[in-house]
Amino acid sequence: MRAPLILIFSIIAATHVQAYSEFQKFVTANSGRPVNCAMCHANHDGPEGTAPGQIGRLTPAEQAELGRARAALEPGANINSPILNAFGNHIVNSLGKKKVLELRVAPAELAKLLPADGDLDGDGIPDAQEYLAGTNPLDKNDGDPWRLFQNNLKRNFTQILLTLAATVAGLYSLNHFLHGFAIATRSDDESEES
Amino acid sequence: MSLRDQFAKTQAYLAERFPVEKMNYASMVEKKEVPVHRLSWGYYMGGLALFFFIMQLVTGLLLLFYYQPTVSDAHASVEYITNHVPGGALIRNLHAWGSSLMIATVLVHLLTAFAMKAFGKPREVTWLTGVALLGIVFAFGFTGYLLPWHQIAVNATKVGLQSIEMVGQYLPGALARWPTAIKEAIQGEATVGQATLSRFFAIHVIVLPLTVFAVLAGHLISVQLHGMSRGVDDPPKRMEKFFPTFFMKDLQVWGMAFMILFILGLCVPFESFSAYPLFEPFDPQGSTPDGIKPEWYFYFVYYPLELLPFWVILIGQHIAIAVLALTPWIFRNTSRRTLRVLAVAAALYLIVMTVFGETIYKLFKG
Repeated sequence: MRAPLILIFSIIAATHVQAYSEFQKFVTANSGRPVNCAMCHANHDGPEGTAPGQIGRLTPAEQAELGRARAALEPGANINSPILNAFGNHIVNSLGKKKVLELRVAPAELAKLLPADGDLDGDGIPDAQEYLAGTNPLDKNDGDPWRLFQNNLKRNFTQILLTLAATVAGLYSLNHFLHGFAIATRSDDESEES
Repeated sequence: MSLRDQFAKTQAYLAERFPVEKMNYASMVEKKEVPVHRLSWGYYMGGLALFFFIMQLVTGLLLLFYYQPTVSDAHASVEYITNHVPGGALIRNLHAWGSSLMIATVLVHLLTAFAMKAFGKPREVTWLTGVALLGIVFAFGFTGYLLPWHQIAVNATKVGLQSIEMVGQYLPGALARWPTAIKEAIQGEATVGQATLSRFFAIHVIVLPLTVFAVLAGHLISVQLHGMSRGVDDPPKRMEKFFPTFFMKDLQVWGMAFMILFILGLCVPFESFSAYPLFEPFDPQGSTPDGIKPEWYFYFVYYPLELLPFWVILIGQHIAIAVLALTPWIFRNTSRRTLRVLAVAAALYLIVMTVFGETIYKLFKG
């Protein structure tokens, strides 16, 4: 009963677009990491204002695109809202605005409904898990450190092996060079003494 | 005592600390020997700290090619290095991990040198230059932290500089104005801004490296002139040649350290340990995001500062600095066994405050 009411209210108030703080509150509580609007929005302070990525700064063409995004109630509308970032647009395109509004009462469900293999930043951690962990789904340098370590280790394994081989080879040759140098200098002294 | 006697005494004191007759290849390299015992691993810490410093120098130099030290461009240039310069993310990450590993190694080096009584006569100068290097390394960390000009960098620097100003309330008369004057001299303007960034940049890339070269040279020459301290009470059962045996082992440790640093730099972005809003460009108009705190190597001061009255920390800090500087004289007659216990206690404090500082803080402050 609550979800349709929220949906109706949101459609009525469609001219007044704002960030949905329920998602932000859930992610902060769930992950223990403070997050801000930049997880889904183009501006870290949310859509309202006159800064880049906010409604007050939109060009007429962007306003038209925003209008199209507001009306994308069903999934697959392929919108590119100028106030959302790639992850925000990905959510609306995957679930539709209607579902997003419904999820405001159950923000944890968003992770289950997002495509399981979606990984916008290509860091090897699915977007849904980044959402739950409170890390940035659009930054490959942000994520759970242990998972990033595992993924990057697999990805760079050849480079690491080559670097290891070069280091071992360098130390091996340096060892021989230094021993040779030590012997050479010692024999010089001995010859001087003799 | 006549002036001549005084002069002769000073001369003898300096001659013992700087034995110039040993300043040759044979004494400093060829004939130098290193004791082998159960605490020998401590001898590798100084070399390891030097390795990390060299890595910082190389990666820092590469970062300088792209970094812009202006309030408007600093953050963007760091982002550019990370996302667009080939190998930029790796170099930047090596620099970030390198700074932490260097400070950790320097702290371990300090504690092992203390536990092994490596400050004993005639190595007082080695100890004093080492303490100076510790201070310089922390100054490197503090000044370098501001350079990316993101939220945590600027706000943590503000907190750090404010703590200098707070000292004024405990000083009498005209002295009370000194901390504010010092803070403003460092800051360069009313608040942390372009002047601060320019000063921190100059200190980080010119002043501190030049200072470190001078002090490090004194430290290394002193180490080579006096050789390694015995380290343990019992006479070592075995000695090994410094060159090439110990030197080569030192390089092997460097090789291992390089591989660890390389893997960390390649696989674990240093910033992934903190929340992403902290790394957004600093916004002077915006609110301060949650989670502002200094780098982990300042936690041993930061969390006590949050929990205890400022004057307690101030007194504790000054006592700690005085004890560090006067260690060769305070602990001249202390046994190595007692020194080891003290070193372990200091290490435990550092580890507990660094790892569990936040938990302890929440426990007391809720």
